[in-house]
Amino acid sequence: MSFKPFDAEALVAAAAEMLQLKIPAAQRDGVRSQLKTAAKMAALVEQVKLADDTEPAPVYRP
Amino acid sequence: MKPTASAAAIAAAVGKGEVKARAVVEAALARIAKHNETLGAFTDITAQRALARADAVDLAIAGGGKAPPLAGVPFAAKNLYDIEGVVTRAGSKINRSNRPAGKDATLIQRLEFAGAILVGATNMDEYAYGFTGENAHDGPSRNPHDTERMTGGSSAGSAAATAAGLVPLSLGSDTNGSIRVPASFCGLFGLKPTYGRLSRARTYPFVASFDTLGPLARSTRDLALAYDAMQGFDDDDPAQTKRPMEPTDARLKHPIPGIRIAIAGGYFAGDAEVQAHVAHVTRALDAARVVTIPDAAAARAAAFLITMTEGAALHLERLRTRLDDFDPEVRDRLLAGAMLPAAWTGKAQKLRRDFREKVLALFADVDAILAPVTPMHAPHIGQKLAKLGGVEMALRPHLGVFTQPFSFIGLPVVTVPVWLPGATLPMGVQIIAAPWREDIALRIAHQLEQAGAVSAPVAKAFAI
Repeated sequence: MSFKPFDAEALVAAAAEMLQLKIPAAQRDGVRSQLKTAAKMAALVEQVKLADDTEPAPVYRP
Repeated sequence: MKPTASAAAIAAAVGKGEVKARAVVEAALARIAKHNETLGAFTDITAQRALARADAVDLAIAGGGKAPPLAGVPFAAKNLYDIEGVVTRAGSKINRSNRPAGKDATLIQRLEFAGAILVGATNMDEYAYGFTGENAHDGPSRNPHDTERMTGGSSAGSAAATAAGLVPLSLGSDTNGSIRVPASFCGLFGLKPTYGRLSRARTYPFVASFDTLGPLARSTRDLALAYDAMQGFDDDDPAQTKRPMEPTDARLKHPIPGIRIAIAGGYFAGDAEVQAHVAHVTRALDAARVVTIPDAAAARAAAFLITMTEGAALHLERLRTRLDDFDPEVRDRLLAGAMLPAAWTGKAQKLRRDFREKVLALFADVDAILAPVTPMHAPHIGQKLAKLGGVEMALRPHLGVFTQPFSFIGLPVVTVPVWLPGATLPMGVQIIAAPWREDIALRIAHQLEQAGAVSAPVAKAFAI
């Protein structure tokens, strides 16, 4: 699965409002950049096909 | 006795009464006072407490008591460990508003019960969210092998203090590689235990489902002594697994008959200089088998996403109220982490379970897996970009590419320091074992050390 470039500014604006975060305009570039990196990571995770009944590991036990 | 002696040598000498713990601690404090401005290793020095405890150790030994295994050994702890009477800053400006800790972290208590003596708290990346050791508030820790270079992080000051011989032993934490990366850059042995092995009570968290604590040292023996002293169940850490004590020091020298060692291939191959360091270790161990860690890139990506979201959840209120008091590099990642779709981290958690099953299956055929620690030698302080695989990319997010897949599933890892012939900088190699088999990783590391294939000398500029 490939991801198209997304509108990071729109996400930052909407999520900041939802989370009650006051992010000055000058600081938004850095957040956008981090979101773009996260989107690349998410694409890698998405590429792995897992069975629907795969259990998550919210509290890891070795 | 040289102030740069190993923990084992100090404990033996103090135990026999050949040297006083007070003299050892005074020498360590003098070296810290002399070199700390250069190294940026310590943020708090607990001199008064250390001298009082040294006197207590000396008194007990003079009274004929059995010397404890770490008698008189000075050690340092990353400043996310609670130290009674000291504010646990966790590398942040924000936490300095907190009250001083009322009680020591469990691991500090245990090392001191074994006779070791805390001499201070060390510098770190803010809230442990970084691999560089560059703290925006306290300044960078500097690599003792080249003070223009990074120590790596986030257990930065612990690595600097140990590599410079200010202390023989230090404590760090490892969520995604924060013991292993600085051990690699500073040329140290480091132990990241199995998730749930050692108590994390009274330490400041980062990603609770990944967080582990462990030691850094200049010898495998010192690692084993510290690790053994810190084992044992602690009701104060809800994530700790109840297991019997499994001491390693006495068995360190015992070879493991028929040991099966493999090399992680594919994703873990790294650039030519990385390969050379791994090849050095594989030759010394006569290991040739290559195994593929399935979905390693995706596992690392999943670890990255979970880290962002768990970290953001931890700090969300502070992001609302004290945004300008964060290190900007950390702030941006935490803010972005708060905004990630839950579906991404949900899938990442499923991948974690799946990846664990696949990697554990490999341990049916092998006892240990070798992999690089870092994709390069220690970068220069302030460096923002690096070439990896011939492509220039941002440095910070990529220093943990080889460490994150293993901490993602809680495996124990010992990092060994490799110095290629003529090298001026070290690079580490990971020895990864199955869950709860720290003993295997430590014994392989010890074998390599005894063969002279790996070593952790005090940095030349700070040697005596």
